[in-house]
This record gives sequence, structure tokens and C-alpha cells, in this order.
Amino acid sequence: MSDYPKNSHDIPLITTEQVGSEEFIVNMGPQHPSTHGVCRLLLKMDGEVIVDAVPIVGYLHRALEKIAENRTYLQFIPYTDRIDYVTAMICNHGFCMAVEKLAGIQVPERAEYIRVIMDELNRIASHLIWLGTFALDLGAITPFLYCFREREKILDLFEMTCGQRMTFNYMRVGGVSRDLPEQFLPLAKEFVEYFKPRVDEYEYLLTQNPIFLGRTKGVGILPQNTAIDYSVTGPNLRATGLKWDIRKEEPYSIYNRFEFEIPTGENSDTWDRYLVRIQEMRQANRIVEQALSSIPEGEIKAKTPAVFKPPAGEAYMRIESSRGEMGFYIVSEGNTIPYRLKLRTASFSNLAVLPEIVRGWKIADLVAIFASLDVIMPDVDR
Amino acid sequence: MTKEQLLQTFQNKFPEKIEEFALVGVDAAFKVDKDLIIKICYFAKETPELSFDLLACMTCIDYVERLELVYNLFSFKHRYKVAIKTSLPRDGELESVTPIWKAANWHEREIAELFGMTFKNHPDPRPILLPEDWEGGFPMRRDWEGKDFVRLPKK
Repeated sequence: MSDYPKNSHDIPLITTEQVGSEEFIVNMGPQHPSTHGVCRLLLKMDGEVIVDAVPIVGYLHRALEKIAENRTYLQFIPYTDRIDYVTAMICNHGFCMAVEKLAGIQVPERAEYIRVIMDELNRIASHLIWLGTFALDLGAITPFLYCFREREKILDLFEMTCGQRMTFNYMRVGGVSRDLPEQFLPLAKEFVEYFKPRVDEYEYLLTQNPIFLGRTKGVGILPQNTAIDYSVTGPNLRATGLKWDIRKEEPYSIYNRFEFEIPTGENSDTWDRYLVRIQEMRQANRIVEQALSSIPEGEIKAKTPAVFKPPAGEAYMRIESSRGEMGFYIVSEGNTIPYRLKLRTASFSNLAVLPEIVRGWKIADLVAIFASLDVIMPDVDR
Repeated sequence: MTKEQLLQTFQNKFPEKIEEFALVGVDAAFKVDKDLIIKICYFAKETPELSFDLLACMTCIDYVERLELVYNLFSFKHRYKVAIKTSLPRDGELESVTPIWKAANWHEREIAELFGMTFKNHPDPRPILLPEDWEGGFPMRRDWEGKDFVRLPKK
């Protein structure tokens, strides 16, 4: 036993060349909790370091595009809720807007305000889910509870308006299905005031937390040209420093009437993606506040015929969902049923970039990077 | 650039092969021959006054006798939006644009799998959305017949 090393400093470092190593495949998912749904990743590993990753998707493929060819425009609105069930209002809005643009329908002012309020509340709710689960993946349980506490209040507002908490089926071609209930405005204003200090609370828990910084700062850097090459949009693209937001640059609905900023990142790492979304919650809250204080009275739905037939033609409209660009390509032949409906979802492209940014990182970092991309699987598979 | 100028820029490079079509929501939309698609995509991305760096969307439409493919392009630098359309026979082949925009990789895999066409020189031509043991044909084709699929009568 005399030549046995006395302490760990005396043990000579053994390199992989001396031992001999080989790459192996690890299967992660589809039921892994950190994949936020059912995404399967095949990881080629060298020890604990990821050499390559192959995402395998399609477990939630419900062929919504095929279903659309067999439903009238009105009948398809509930299905748009299921594209991305965390931001169902924005999916509703995007689809209705594309059909309106195709048919040339003018939406009443009050309906536009209601839509913007719902969109932005939904954006906050979506970012709250993301923040809660992101922190949970990194081992912090408290933010998860805080986030769901606030989200609950938003869902109550939605429930009060349309009777649903997740899949709303609220918007219609030409407006919204019903007016805001009487108590909505005071309660929503109360929420806006309540929510402002809550964002600081999350930041207090996470932003400068050394463990959180260690897990996120400098991890999973996504260069801007790679992001554009892979069509990454939304907060992930803004975190690379590109100031691009469809709400601002190509204002749809009535977004040009509100003051808000486009938060951007600098280093494009996991921490920046976190910061961008935190600030986006503040900006969304600002928009809700302005919309609530200036919402006019009036009609909530434009007059559309009972048998709705948009003219023959094609339209591609895009909208800023909480995950990025959400596009609807509609081909109409002048029937009650769309001839073809293509759903361009943000998560589909955002997930495709994952292999590029996880190479060289460890599995624990993969969990953080994957969570920071805010991919949601029904949005990928459609 | 206005719509006419955008079309003119493409027209100058590819004379007499560009045919305009109507698409709501973009600055300019035109149809080209399928053999030209890779060249025109290179041109759209690499020309400094166009620099279409984002492939926003790729759509395939089945008209039974032919397929139509639409590329929705966007330029961050100039904020132009164009759509390029091409048509090909149902079981035809088309040059992959993945070397130009990596985003096309997954879009092309999806289209190839659901519509039954092939992309030449695609780096990773595996299926993407359907189950591994899928034997039901190409479900997004208009005349596809499935076990539980009943088409609505035309109104």
C-alpha cells in the first residue's frame, strides 16, 4: 500500500488518450420531463460531452393542416387553439387575421383592442410558464410556484371572458365572439398594477443568483447568422442582438398605437434569452395597461355572412407569437373550406437549431439550453 | 424598393421567365420555372440590394395534376417580403435549397414526406413527422384515403 497516493493531488491526471474512449449514444426522451412535452433527442456522447444531437419530433403530429382542408373557416378556429396551447389567443388572432386580410374585412376598433389585450395577457402567461419551468429545470422550485400564482390570475381573466382557461376559441373572423364582461376592466387594471412588482420579484430570485448565473451565463451561444440561417425568430433572435419584432416593424392590428420597447440581448447566451423574456413581460404589461385605459365602446364584430366564403386567392400573414413568427398561408378557392392551410410555427424552426448550439456542452447544459429556447412540442408537430 | 422595382430586379437577371401572381401579405410574388429555383434563390440571398436572408416559410400545395411550392423570403436588411412559386409534377424532383438556408432542411423533409416529392441533394432526407412504421402513403395529397378519414362534400 506504500505507493498508493496519499491525497488527490498526487494522483496523476489520466487523459482520454491513455484510457481509450469511445463515443456512445444516449436516448433522451420522449417522456423526459425537461423536454417540455414529447421531444426525443438522440445524443452522441463522448464521456459527458455532447458530440452531436438529433431531435426526433412528430409524437404530437395531429395533421392539423389536413384537418383544415375538411373544416369550414369558423370550424377551424378551435383547432388553432391546439397549435400552441400555451398561447392559444395569439394563434386565434393570427388565423382570423389571415382570413380577414384575404376577405378584406375591417375589424371594429373595440375588437382590435380586446384582441391586443388578450394577446399580451397571453404572452405574459406563456412567458410565465416558460420562466417557471426553466427555473425548475435548473433546480429552482420557488419561481415555478410564483409564476403559476400570477398565471392563475390571467387564466381567471380569460375564464371570465370566454369560459375557457387554456383553449379559448374566443376570436372570430371579423372580431371576437363576445364582449368583455363588466368586471373585466377593473380586474384587469388591478392585475396590471399587481404584476409590475412581481417581475422584480422573479429577477430578485434569479437574475444575479450565482448558481443561476453559473448555469446560464455564456452557455449555449447562438450566433446571429446561425439564428437567421435557421429562421430562428422571436425572443431567441432578439437575444442575439437583432432588434426585430413584427409588432413594431410591421404593425398588425393596432400595435402602432402603443408605446413599447423591443428588448434585445448582447451575448446571445442562455442568460440573455432569459433576460429578453423577462423584459418582454414588462413590455407586454405596458401594452395591456395602455390598451385598458384607451379601449373604446362600440361593436365587437364586423358583419360577416352566415355562410362565410372568402374570395378565391392566396394570403400569407404573420404575427408575433410569444415564440416568434407565426405564419398562416391560406389558399382559398372561394368555398367555405380552405383549399390549403399551411401553419408556419416558430418552434419548428427554433428547435431545428438545437444541434448547432449544444455541441460541446454537457447534458446538464443541454437541459438549460433546451429550456431557454422555449420550444413547445404541439407547435413543432402541429 | 417598390413591388415593380423588386420584380424588375429579378426580371433583369432572369429575363422572360418570371410571371407575377397575387398573394396577400407580401411585397411581390412571382412564379418561376422549377429548374431555375436554385439559381434564383442564390441570387435572392447573395445580391446585396436584395439579401433575402430569412426563409420564413415553405408551403406545398397539391393540385392533383401538379404540386406547387411557395418560398416565402424576407430580408432583415431591407425589410422586403417576396414569395417565389414553382410547380412540378407530383412525383417530381426539385433541387434542395438547404445549402442556401439551413432552415429549409426540416421544411423540405416535411414536404417530401407528406406530399411524396423528392429534393435532390438534400443532406438528410429522412422522414420527420409521421410514425417510423408509417405505410399509409402521402397524407397531404388531395386524393389521399385513410381508414378513418371522411372528406366533407364540396359546397
